[in-house]
Amino acid sequence: MNRTDTRPRAVEIRGLNVCLGGKRVLRNIDLDIGTGELVALIGPNGAGKTTLVRAILGLVPAESGTVRVLGETNLRSALPRVGYVPQRLALDVGLAMSVREFLALRRPSTRNWFWRRHAELDATLPPIADELGTRLLLDKSVSTLSGGQLQRVLITFGLLDNPELLFLDEPTEGVDAPGERTFYEIISDIHRAHRLTVVLVSHDLSMVHRHASWVVALNGRICCEGAPDEIIREDALREAYGLHVTPYHHHHHDPTAQGHDHGLDHGHPHVH
Amino acid sequence: MFTEPFMLRAILGALMLAPLCALLGVFVTARRMAFFSDTVAHASLAGTAVSFLLGLSEPTPGMIVVSLAVAAAIVWLRERSGLFNDTIMSLLLTGSVAVGTVILSRLHGFRAEIHRVLFGDILAIGSTELILAGALLLLVAIGGSWMLSPLSLITAHEDLAHVAGLRVRAFNYAFVLVLTITVTVTIRLVGILLVGALLVIPPASARLLGRTLRQEIWLAVAFGIVTGVGGVAASYAADIPCGPSIVLTGITLFAVTLGISKTRRTERLEPLVREEG
Repeated sequence: MNRTDTRPRAVEIRGLNVCLGGKRVLRNIDLDIGTGELVALIGPNGAGKTTLVRAILGLVPAESGTVRVLGETNLRSALPRVGYVPQRLALDVGLAMSVREFLALRRPSTRNWFWRRHAELDATLPPIADELGTRLLLDKSVSTLSGGQLQRVLITFGLLDNPELLFLDEPTEGVDAPGERTFYEIISDIHRAHRLTVVLVSHDLSMVHRHASWVVALNGRICCEGAPDEIIREDALREAYGLHVTPYHHHHHDPTAQGHDHGLDHGHPHVH
Repeated sequence: MFTEPFMLRAILGALMLAPLCALLGVFVTARRMAFFSDTVAHASLAGTAVSFLLGLSEPTPGMIVVSLAVAAAIVWLRERSGLFNDTIMSLLLTGSVAVGTVILSRLHGFRAEIHRVLFGDILAIGSTELILAGALLLLVAIGGSWMLSPLSLITAHEDLAHVAGLRVRAFNYAFVLVLTITVTVTIRLVGILLVGALLVIPPASARLLGRTLRQEIWLAVAFGIVTGVGGVAASYAADIPCGPSIVLTGITLFAVTLGISKTRRTERLEPLVREEG
């Protein structure tokens, strides 16, 4: 985000350093994420993308630096307005939990789900459950969901109670290529329709190029940031990835042609 | 059977402790904490030995104190040592059994009491245990409706629970506290060696049949009551130690539920197989 930009910021990070297991993973991170942006964090494996998201959310401790989320220095005050879809699309299957019960756990209004009838709980679900097709899965056990179904359930979970800020950490892992494209289109639609700020960790440079409004290239530190056209370029990517990376852009995708375009390699950068 | 005061106390104890263990056991099994409950149970041997060493007539308070100390040590080492959970628990389990055994070997005249602590005794349920069991049941009944949702979310995904605004660490500590006290009080009924079974077998049976968490919890509580009360009654009728009697009742129930779940699964798969054929 341009520092002269006066728009309110969803996330402000200053001088953030994070060590994990005695190793410095993030060094001196200064980052602003503007309200209403769809910001993509890109970088090679081990670049600290997930650690950055987890540090913002208070899931890993910062060694030094400050993080302000939705204007709050006290993260706990901001969390009710934040949604999160974690990296590993997995829920512990130790409990016989239905999707309906799982979704009820997030919201204070349905914390008494144990004593309430299904119809009552279903009536409290927001329209996003219909848009994502999650309503059809309510009776299913979370342990029997496919990767794509679990992804929809977790996104619905993240979007309950209309958050202002959504973090998606490589949310298409374990999802097939058509499902991946559909996912990015859904997120892009939600981002536009609700003016939701989205922070997306992704390896898919083509999807990032198409949908992100701002791109941050990370490799232990912020290598560069800017509009997708400025960052998804050979010279800029070389600095972040330390390799020769040829960005491969999709041709304009016709949504009506969905399901016919199964090119698995589409959208992935060429690394030499 | 029910006219004798000790049997009434034992039945009442089983009616309170067995469903309590089953309810906590749903989360113990889902969170892979069965070894944790075994470790704090074995720490009770050291607690019993210390109580006898101090000349206390009632061992339960000493058992609770030592078990809580071992539970705190597990949590502390887990957060600071970087060792794996099972390594930490094995270390503390064997350590506390060794301490208990060394102290007891220096004392004389407690052979019967040691047998009770290891295998459980319906005669061992006195007014102290009943009051503690009642208080625990009340605490869990009141706190349960407040704790159930957070605990379920923490069990399903700790990071999601944190971002949903829950104080994950505080809930984990509260769960460990209630679980440790429940295990220690239940030892008087079932014994150190077998208390884990009351936490694991009814929830395992319920997991086989329940399709939702609500069903799983209700079934676990029902199976817990049948296992506890049935086991105490069988112990009296067959004149066998209470712990093994409760465990064998639970395992019989588990075998039945396993059979039902297999039959149900076959019924569900049959139409699919026919369609494919």
